[in-house]
Amino acid sequence: MRHSSSATLLFLAMLASCDIVEFPDNTGNGGGPAPEGPARKVLLEDLTGHTCNNCPAATDIAVDLHDVYGNALILVAVHATAFAEPAAPPFDNDYRTIAGEAYINTFGVGSLPAGFVSRREFNNSVILGDGNWGSAVADIINTPADMEVLFNTVTFDPGTNTVNMTVQVIPVNDLTGDHNLTIYLTEDSVVSAQIDNQQSPPDVLNYVHRHMLRDNINGTWGEPVISGAAAAGDTLTLSYNYVLPAAVIDPAKCSLVAYVYRTDNYEVLQAEEVKVQP
Amino acid sequence: MIGTGTGALRLIPFMALLLIGRSGLAQAPDSTATPPPHTGPDLPQVHGNFSTDAQYYRVDSVIGAEVPDEKMGINAWGNIQYTQGRFTAGIRFETYEPPLLGYPAGEPYSGTGIGYRYARYSIDDLDITVGNFFEQFGQGMAFRSFEERYLGVDNAMDGVRVKFQPTEGIYLKGVVGRQRFGFDDGFNNGVGIVRGADVELSLTEFLPTAFPAWVEKGRNLVLGGSFVSRYQEDKDPLRELPENVGLWAARANYTNAHWNLYTEYAYKINDPNASNDFIYKPGQGLLMNATYSTKGLGISAGAHAFDNMVFQSDRATQNLFNLNINFLPTLAKQHTYNLPATLYPYATQPNGEVSYQGEVFYKFKKGTPLGGKYGTKLAVNYCTAWSLDSTAMPDDTLQFKGYTTAFFQRGERQYFSDFNIEVRKKLSKTWEIAATYLNLVYDIEVVQGKAGAPVVFADMFIVEGLHNFTSRNSVRFEVQHLRTNQDKGNWVTGLAEFTFSPHWFVAAMDQFNYETLDESFSQNGEEVEVKRTHYPIGSMGYIRGGNRFTMNYGRQRAGIFCVGGVCRQVPASNGLSISITSTF
Repeated sequence: MRHSSSATLLFLAMLASCDIVEFPDNTGNGGGPAPEGPARKVLLEDLTGHTCNNCPAATDIAVDLHDVYGNALILVAVHATAFAEPAAPPFDNDYRTIAGEAYINTFGVGSLPAGFVSRREFNNSVILGDGNWGSAVADIINTPADMEVLFNTVTFDPGTNTVNMTVQVIPVNDLTGDHNLTIYLTEDSVVSAQIDNQQSPPDVLNYVHRHMLRDNINGTWGEPVISGAAAAGDTLTLSYNYVLPAAVIDPAKCSLVAYVYRTDNYEVLQAEEVKVQP
Repeated sequence: MIGTGTGALRLIPFMALLLIGRSGLAQAPDSTATPPPHTGPDLPQVHGNFSTDAQYYRVDSVIGAEVPDEKMGINAWGNIQYTQGRFTAGIRFETYEPPLLGYPAGEPYSGTGIGYRYARYSIDDLDITVGNFFEQFGQGMAFRSFEERYLGVDNAMDGVRVKFQPTEGIYLKGVVGRQRFGFDDGFNNGVGIVRGADVELSLTEFLPTAFPAWVEKGRNLVLGGSFVSRYQEDKDPLRELPENVGLWAARANYTNAHWNLYTEYAYKINDPNASNDFIYKPGQGLLMNATYSTKGLGISAGAHAFDNMVFQSDRATQNLFNLNINFLPTLAKQHTYNLPATLYPYATQPNGEVSYQGEVFYKFKKGTPLGGKYGTKLAVNYCTAWSLDSTAMPDDTLQFKGYTTAFFQRGERQYFSDFNIEVRKKLSKTWEIAATYLNLVYDIEVVQGKAGAPVVFADMFIVEGLHNFTSRNSVRFEVQHLRTNQDKGNWVTGLAEFTFSPHWFVAAMDQFNYETLDESFSQNGEEVEVKRTHYPIGSMGYIRGGNRFTMNYGRQRAGIFCVGGVCRQVPASNGLSISITSTF
């Protein structure tokens, strides 16, 4: 009977294994305390497309997360996959980029919505559904950073549509391995058609696309900023002169996003965002 | 399906099984089979099996077949099982270098490594397994860990299982572990922890003296109850997610010489997940089956309703092939003929469905007007599935319940119906024939996720014949026709399969998508140019002892394969495929 008693106890213990949530809103927690030193910011790349009917709901989650974490969370909407291909009007715009297509091919993205959260594995996968974004962001954000990424200077010349920038990468700890710096140009609030299954009818002609990736300023995979090793306190500086592409609608809504990632596993260790016109 | 002993198109690789036909789908070698009864001295025994499917791909622009960089794909599995008395241990090696195109259905597989390993022993009435195992409670509505190898679905548990029989007629099971999630030079496990317990009471075994008449007449009542809980950490900053999500189920099964009555009800507490848009509504499911059988007559009826019953060990996974804790079977007939099986298969809609089915089987006796000299078999089947009657909740900004439901009340949208009738008759000592008619209604937008696609209305006629030339040599043939004005239009399929027992078989099949006999085809309301495409494929095989070799060459069409409303694009391919199975 000892066996059956144990089994009964086990059964009863499991019966208690239920968490019933009456009021799920959790946004009052605010993301927890920041560390004493530099904190790690998170890059959330929202992979999307204008004919992806579930993507606007995912973007809403990203924006909600940004409301919680503020500037510690950097959002970039990467329009890619067949869902972003030009189609019959009103979906005849092409917001894809060479870099965006390269990313989805490299990481093997098969369906949308999906995203990368600092391109770090969460639950065994770099490609994350929107249901995992919040948890994956919480896992990284406000943890101690290995480096700082700073836009030292950013100036914009409206006459030539040129932005000049100086980016500094300063390791907080001694680092080993190869690291690249990539800089994005993003444009916020681009008004264009989108299929949104949260709306009726779902074809929304004046959908506001957020944080759209427009171009990579220094190539799809950036360029080396740490080769082999770097010591804490080193200052690594890179400068760029960049002419905004013709596709940009409003420079005032453009931002620069710089991030440093490990080239062996693509994980983004630190990111920073600044307006083109501060 | 008329049996012929072998079957050339029955052991073709994965893609062919999906898109050419699943008739006689080969059963994957069972790596968790119960050890043989302990009948002799405890001599150690080693058994095993091996199976592989490989394909060399060719470019075929007509059907859009592409070639991977590696030019070929190969899936292979090898089981080794050691048994000594009441102890068993097993291991399975797997290779995907690279996997066949479109394989698996869920999380990717790659590389070579160990996909399954376990050790198991029993002593007195206690049976313990450590490592990987498959298990099921009831009909699986609460818990089912299983493998469908040729689809690439495997949610094997990795943990501990304990079975115990405290007394005659009472069976207890307990499981704890994580579920398989993909393969990368070895199996990976999902993030959630699954805990489950099941108790079953067999009345006539437990109290035989209280029910002597039942024992004598072969009657029994089995009662069961299950509880399964998933733990997954919550770090979400937006919502408080339940870390421990529980599901309980109760079931009853009455049987006697003619009747089998089964019912099961399950209830799941709030489980916000990717498939239900993270709502906090509880889920529930109810299924009922009744069968009656006597000599020459069989009748079955079934019904079920499922509401918000997706239960996976990762709440955020977006693929319904991955990490399923429970299993919700469809009531639809699982056709084995090529066209109905692979063009419009139905899968349960786990987050909201009401379904009914009925089937009658009758054999007209020999010597009667309809039975003739050898008798005639008749089977009539009908199944339908509908949306669940539910209403979205307005202003759902506090508890995020999503919607309200009138449980077991069907909604206004019909997902599926299938009426089919089959007549089978042996005409002479050397001829046997079967004729089938199917009428199908298929909401392809819901089942396959084709946005905006109209409902498919299809009629199918199938004739199958078997002729035995000698006691060893035979030919089996099929002619199938599908007519519809929707989706891909009309199809015709021809198949001939020659068997030269006991070693050889040869087969040829062509699927012809001629769409329409008219000059233009109205596809989804738009007139398009008619494209007529043949998908020919040839097959041959050799069987000797425990070894079987099969080779196929030809086209395999692209298609959609669905489970639970989530559909996966299966690519078209053209090339040579080889399969080997072996046991020792």
